[in-house]
Amino acid sequence: MSISIEHLTKRYGTFTAIEDVSIDIPSGSVFGLLGPNGAGKTTTFKCMLGLARPTSGRTRFDGAVLAPAAFQNIAYVAERSVLYEWLRAGDHVEMQRRAFSRFDAGRAKQLMDLFALDPRKRVGSLSKGLRTALSVVLAFSIDPEIMILDEPTSGLDPLNARAVLKLIIEAAARGKTILFSSHQIGQVERAADHIAILQHGKVVLTGPVDDLKAGSKIVEAIFESEAVALGGLGVDHRVSRVEQTGRIVRLTVSADSDSIAQQLSAAGAQSVRVVDLNLEDIFVNAVDPAGVTADVVERV
Amino acid sequence: MPAVFTVDPRSGVPLYLQIIDQIKRSVALGVLAAGEQLPTVKQLALDLTINPNTVARAYRELERDEVIETAVGRGSFVRDDGTTAFPRAAASDVAAKALLLAVREAKSVGLTSPQVRTLFEAALARWFPEET
Repeated sequence: MSISIEHLTKRYGTFTAIEDVSIDIPSGSVFGLLGPNGAGKTTTFKCMLGLARPTSGRTRFDGAVLAPAAFQNIAYVAERSVLYEWLRAGDHVEMQRRAFSRFDAGRAKQLMDLFALDPRKRVGSLSKGLRTALSVVLAFSIDPEIMILDEPTSGLDPLNARAVLKLIIEAAARGKTILFSSHQIGQVERAADHIAILQHGKVVLTGPVDDLKAGSKIVEAIFESEAVALGGLGVDHRVSRVEQTGRIVRLTVSADSDSIAQQLSAAGAQSVRVVDLNLEDIFVNAVDPAGVTADVVERV
Repeated sequence: MPAVFTVDPRSGVPLYLQIIDQIKRSVALGVLAAGEQLPTVKQLALDLTINPNTVARAYRELERDEVIETAVGRGSFVRDDGTTAFPRAAASDVAAKALLLAVREAKSVGLTSPQVRTLFEAALARWFPEET
């Protein structure tokens, strides 16, 4: 099932949590939502699911707005655990069985064992990681078409976090559509094929991970002196960031890195090299584009 | 499936390109033989813990480059067209990439083209001593 988030805005009084958020999630994709704390990831999830009423905008699931029956097909792992402290882990599994016609008891048992969860334990006695694991077990035991996972690895040790990633990958291989958020960019880099980066409630970057990586490069040039000549590249639309340290200038470019490198060479740079960007670099560049130093801009 | 693939998600090189490179290299080296079956998309995705669509994209491009072929319901196989032309093509692909990178580095540290040529001749003499 594809998901289309259309112009979602949510205001709490005078505070705007998200503004005009539009994201397209193709059917069968694993979509990673990244952003600093407070960027609006959880608000976006809540508005999508009708757990918070958006001020404006809507979300369509396969073209249709969310109806009660659709919830049979959607699993949601909330960032803040919605488990009942006084109930046992097994009681939650039982509630899931009653609530979802797609519930698979064998699968639930298998998943409880995977995370070494004891069904007799009360939620109140579980660590943060095991609560996350229990939420993941509940979500994956109903094998839904859509999974919305808000920090599904939070508090988990690396082994269990890897197990959650494998569950996501296995579900994606069977055509499920998964939207997840994580603070660990490395996990998003592995599991996601598409990402969106939120900052201050707005989408600052979105696209297929491979295309974002292939497109973004740093072109680093070393000049003879600090009086560098960028030959107009400082205001080029393909250049998103300019940093100068002494004789070294680093340009973050979104396309044509080779021809920009040649341009710098022609402009008198002694040495030019092109460096690949990983997702963390792309993330930092998207949420903190204030790298342009005034003195470089003046010399352009 | 004797070949073991690894990918580095932290690298700036897109994962599907890393997979393509490794499979081409394995074919060029004969680690993957003509006609040999590749793991399914799902299996390789789980083994490497990476997105299955990424693996599928790598396989699609390898099909387009005529390195592998996919038979519906049977899986993906290293192509076997009865000649040795195509492992050689894969080998020169791998080598061309490495050379381009080396020349770019040489240029970026300020070497001139005659200087690079001298270095290249020295490298040839070292690795092909019988021909000098």
